[in-house]
Amino acid sequence: MSKSPEAVATKRASSRYASVRLAHGSGGKLSLELIQDLFVREFGGQELAELTDAAVLENPGGRVAFCTDSHTVTPTFFPGGDIGRLAVAGTVNDLAVMGARPLYLTAAFLIEEGYDMEELERVVVSMKRTADEAGVTIVAGDTKVLERGKGDGLFINTAGVGFLPDRVKMGVKEIQPGDKILVNGTLGDHGIAVMSRREGLDMGVDLESDVAPLNGLIEQVMAVAPNVRFMRDVTRGGLAAVGNEVVLNQTWGLRVFDVAVPIHDIVDQYSEMLGIDPLLAANEGKVLMIVPAEQAEAALGAMKAHPLGREAAIIGDIVKQPAGVALVETAYGSRRVLEMPIEEQLPRIC
Amino acid sequence: MDTAATTTFDFEPHLYKDAEVVKGLEEKLLRLADEIGRPVKLMHICGTHEHEIGRFALRDLIPDSVEVLAGPGCPVCVCDNEYINMAIQLSLLDDVIVTSFGDMLAVPGSIPLEGERRGDVRMSLLDARARGGDVRAVYSVFDAARIARENPDKEVVFFSVGFETTVVAVAAMLKRGAPDNLSIIEANYYTPPATHMLPTLDGFDIEGFILPGHAATITGLRVYEHLAEQGIACASGGFEPVDVLASVVSLLEQIRDGKPIIDNPYNRLVKYDGNEKAKAELFEVFELGPIHWRGIAEIPESGYKLRPEYKKHSAALKFAGRLDERILAGAEHPKGCRCAEVTLGQIRPDECGVFGKLCTPDAPYGPCMVSHEGTCRAWYQYGMHKERLHVEVA
Repeated sequence: MSKSPEAVATKRASSRYASVRLAHGSGGKLSLELIQDLFVREFGGQELAELTDAAVLENPGGRVAFCTDSHTVTPTFFPGGDIGRLAVAGTVNDLAVMGARPLYLTAAFLIEEGYDMEELERVVVSMKRTADEAGVTIVAGDTKVLERGKGDGLFINTAGVGFLPDRVKMGVKEIQPGDKILVNGTLGDHGIAVMSRREGLDMGVDLESDVAPLNGLIEQVMAVAPNVRFMRDVTRGGLAAVGNEVVLNQTWGLRVFDVAVPIHDIVDQYSEMLGIDPLLAANEGKVLMIVPAEQAEAALGAMKAHPLGREAAIIGDIVKQPAGVALVETAYGSRRVLEMPIEEQLPRIC
Repeated sequence: MDTAATTTFDFEPHLYKDAEVVKGLEEKLLRLADEIGRPVKLMHICGTHEHEIGRFALRDLIPDSVEVLAGPGCPVCVCDNEYINMAIQLSLLDDVIVTSFGDMLAVPGSIPLEGERRGDVRMSLLDARARGGDVRAVYSVFDAARIARENPDKEVVFFSVGFETTVVAVAAMLKRGAPDNLSIIEANYYTPPATHMLPTLDGFDIEGFILPGHAATITGLRVYEHLAEQGIACASGGFEPVDVLASVVSLLEQIRDGKPIIDNPYNRLVKYDGNEKAKAELFEVFELGPIHWRGIAEIPESGYKLRPEYKKHSAALKFAGRLDERILAGAEHPKGCRCAEVTLGQIRPDECGVFGKLCTPDAPYGPCMVSHEGTCRAWYQYGMHKERLHVEVA
């Protein structure tokens, strides 16, 4: 069990400073202090503690899955999460949706001079806690401090390595008409939770981001539905972005039944009020799975049995026609295109 | 004249999306279209109607012989380039923060954007922001006032665009006392004079109007009596699927019976004389004057302008010496853009040559493709320009 974010900040050499200084990224004494007293101490792990130029890792076998993602979010701490949890969960999920077992992460921090030291510590503790939850180890890292005004607070890049069993065979080309589409819960929570806390839009919305590592849930589903055709984490651009990426140039189409899509009541109301579409809103703890029809119920059951999948649902299917189109079918049987998101969603006039 | 009528629906709120109720209305529409037995053109004049028609694919539920067109109901689309250019110029001044509804940010004015490789590109507030302008999206004028109080050393400009639904809030705020460093760009439009003008246009063949439900909560319906007097059916329209279809039912009944009235199916919110208190406050702060409707014409008495005692909050006056008049006046539109005809319901978006090809939401020629209230945007977004989406399953 990791320490609570409130309980950190005790007796650290780095904590002699209220905020991050340029010297914390200079490679000198302060850099070493920060690395050892914050990053090594919190993240733990033999590979990191050795402070070698590269981590040397065990290979459990299979193909290697390797990915990287950079993270920036305003505000840094939002209901249900923070940039640290986001940075770890995001990379873990990118590996997991490939069918890989995530094992190792790197973390690179770009910190603006003057960034609050205690806040940085809280972010690091949150990363460690999320890494533990996902069963991954942070094995290497980097810190750079940017002059004040040359960075927006804190950026975190994480890269991840996972291992992919030879039997896993997934991809868009495996998808066939008749397949079912599943998601593991309510859509749009993260996007609306973050938007509701941005300057000028605070409406006291009581909603938490869904940010979470999904590798546990995915493993559970794949155990009972080994022929999952395709998975993708539903992040920025929401279901609409994933749906459109999947159907691009395909000889089949994707159909979503709007009444089947789980949407939190608050998300629904907030979206209606601001004129935004929850199907386009961001998520950080949701996966879309395309599963052969005969394994759909088993996959759904496995999702629902996991804490991160209680509100899972079958939301649509793959159709022969119209090809290359992602569409939404309403409760009335009418149909519209599920459009590719274009810009960041902004509140409308009326 | 007594044209008021009330169609009362005893639905619970959640039923306004109810599939059974919609089914019933759909069947009713089929019968009415049959009874009328000829093609009919109807028009709504609210951008949110087009958006909701797209979102719920309601045209799939309306008989082919009944065409529901989008009229001049998008406040972003009718906003003249003069105001967009003004907002852009102001945002580029060092001491000015420009605040605006999200919809307005991506709308191009007529100032050419140098150095782009996408063709004839005009500058938007987002482009101004990328070039150092302080541009912020706000949800209401009250947020703009807060920003003004928090930045006493800056001038804060609120780009006041919209119909009654937004201008009333501006009036309320100004009346209760606004910070001296807050000013507004007066780009609020009043719809009825534009609907007066529509029947005078060549080839006008609209037989019924769905009146704008939100704006009408303020203005009331009496201001549309001129339409009924000219033999045009009218019905207020709400924004849920049941609301929209109920309005179409009302219009078709009026047309079938040859008895145009002003029906009020959206009577759970709209009163025949509107919101007297809001109107009183509105006209304490604003008065009606001529205003340019983008690409259409200058229409008398159709723009909300600050009364003399509130003129100190007019951005046009406050910054008069610092604005380049030539840039404000440069109101020409990119070649090929037919936004004005789309806005008037004279052509469908897919009849415009650049629609979906050169003009897309990420590279818009005109405001109709930018705003979510815009007809072109709604058509592009929801695929209304495609043939109906016939599904074939495995």
